Amino acid sequence: MELSNLPQGQRDLLDSLRDAIVAIDEEKARNVAEAIVNEEMDPNTAIRYSIAHAAVKVGEKFDSGEYYLPHLVMAGDLMDEVGTILGRNIPSDQIGEKKVIVIGTVQGDMHSVGKNLVSTMLKSGGFQVHDMGVDVASMAFIDRAKEVNADMIALSSLLTTTMPYQKEVIDDLASMGLREKFKVIVGGGPVTEHYAKEIGADGYAKDAVEALREVKRLLA
Amino acid sequence: MRLSFWEVLQRTKEGPIVEEKQFDLSIFKKVGELQRKYDIKYDPEKPLDVSGDLADRVYQAGIEFFLDMGTYCTTTRRVIKLTERELQAEIASSPDHVELGQGEDRIKVVHRDVEGDQEPIVVAGIQTAPFSDEEMMFKITKGCAMDRCVDGIWGGILLKIDGKYDVIAGTPSEIYQYRKMVAIMRKAIEAAGRPGMVIINNAPTSLATIAMYGEESGLRRTDGIETTGISEVKVAYDDLNRSAFGLANGMHIHGSHSSVIGGFSATPEGAAIVAVAGALQLVAVHKAESFRCGVTEALVKSRVTRKELWAAGTAIQGLSRNTRLIVDGSIGDHPAAGPGTKQYFYESAAGHIVSTVMGGHSTQGTRKYVVGTVCNYGTPLESRWMGEVCKGAVGMDRATANRIVKYLLAIYEDRLADAPEGETFEKLYDQEKLEPLPHYQRLYEEVKEELRGQGLHFRE
Repeated sequence: MELSNLPQGQRDLLDSLRDAIVAIDEEKARNVAEAIVNEEMDPNTAIRYSIAHAAVKVGEKFDSGEYYLPHLVMAGDLMDEVGTILGRNIPSDQIGEKKVIVIGTVQGDMHSVGKNLVSTMLKSGGFQVHDMGVDVASMAFIDRAKEVNADMIALSSLLTTTMPYQKEVIDDLASMGLREKFKVIVGGGPVTEHYAKEIGADGYAKDAVEALREVKRLLA
Repeated sequence: MRLSFWEVLQRTKEGPIVEEKQFDLSIFKKVGELQRKYDIKYDPEKPLDVSGDLADRVYQAGIEFFLDMGTYCTTTRRVIKLTERELQAEIASSPDHVELGQGEDRIKVVHRDVEGDQEPIVVAGIQTAPFSDEEMMFKITKGCAMDRCVDGIWGGILLKIDGKYDVIAGTPSEIYQYRKMVAIMRKAIEAAGRPGMVIINNAPTSLATIAMYGEESGLRRTDGIETTGISEVKVAYDDLNRSAFGLANGMHIHGSHSSVIGGFSATPEGAAIVAVAGALQLVAVHKAESFRCGVTEALVKSRVTRKELWAAGTAIQGLSRNTRLIVDGSIGDHPAAGPGTKQYFYESAAGHIVSTVMGGHSTQGTRKYVVGTVCNYGTPLESRWMGEVCKGAVGMDRATANRIVKYLLAIYEDRLADAPEGETFEKLYDQEKLEPLPHYQRLYEEVKEELRGQGLHFRE
């Protein structure tokens, strides 16, 4: 349903839910989500409007330095919780599936900060993210991607001597006949767009904000 | 009496199990509480705490943070905690000086006071950046080691074996190549006439780090060993492997940890508190005798932003004023600008002035923030600059440092996001004479003269 066709009271509820998520006001967000369910409003409209717009707003606040990584994590958790409340009124055959991303820092590399930022940014951007942590073996990425039927594998590396593992994942996917099944995006301190192209990655991002944009483009 | 390393290890197996995400979020909550309790406020107009009062409160908050939060072991997912008595014993028993290197090149690394006249140790060299080939690695390392204001050298990387095979962390190639690179560095410092000079290097895995040691042509016991804490306030067994090797061989252990502005520390105030806590972790958990007390900013590719200078400088000052520990500042080690540019020198100077004046050494080499796979991305002249600035800032008072830093920030602060890339060694140096090309030497002298005019007293 178009937002402009909704009664003012219902539009106010959607705005209120969006604002509560952006402010990370957990109690208010839960209450408004319950009110939306009780009003028997279309939950998909609430998800598309309130949660999606809140995700954009939270990302902007992070980009401008107003919000920090913990805010992204908390906002992401709240979006999950609110989504579950709203989802109660969606028939199982109408549940829109989130795109699935497996992310981690490659083998031999313990750096987590950049990967955490991207992981959290993607989650708050509406993706289902499986964060495998740091020092993840190439085959473990592939196994998990197969297991969760992922759409994308996102690989972080902060060391020049661990960058080759990004290539290894791509090469292994090709060897296993799985290259077309998963998009692959790479990033991390020493990784460049040129290197990403050279190893055959589908995408590259230089920071967390760009990563969200690039993932949305690749999985559109 | 200090807590033994083996008791620490036991606690990694017996401490409470905590979900990593909950630990991360509790960092954010705890620094918020402590910021309010100790009235810690970042003022962009004052990039340095000139009185020391704020630094003392940051130190106290860091102690409280470390005692309440502990260190998260990512290997066992357990939290290692110390009692206040245990922590104070660690701080009191840690040495206030160590000696590194051999023969005439042996150096004494001591606790430095704020505005102190103790000699800051400068370990330069193009830290962990790739070299195109063995000859280039030898040349550049030799050039860095020849400079008398440089006390030690950091290792770089050769990305290919036989010019063909990738060096990959966690594989046999890493062990082979890192060991081979140390042999090249050792030849280079011998050729520079400084055979006993300290070499620092740290491979991605502990296995390859340990494999670099060998008294003849490898790292020596007198070079010490590096161990790192994971950002923020975490450790893995791979880090503790390095400590165990150092302890077993009676070696000096140097630690490194960085808090993250924009990360779970969130604010500059939070990052200053967590920087102190991270330093205490390195002493108590890793058994480091000296440590890099670092701060980085999540969204900016430079380590000398106004916020970073304030947070790292305040944390270093707090540790220097309240303990006898050996603090490594190294704030100017990762400028956004590349070599061959004035901005590189400005950024580097701001960081190293703050490190030195606040009571730190500078042992983390020279390197543009992100190098990627560009080879030979640095020259000995940046090492000389690091040394000249650190030694020149000895005895400077905080008010003068604050004024110079504000002057430098005004020049480079708005150019961090689009910092000039600079040039490689080949474009900046005469490769036979190992001297800067005239245009680079002129640029260096111009910046030096400019800073001399601002009150930085370079040694002649």
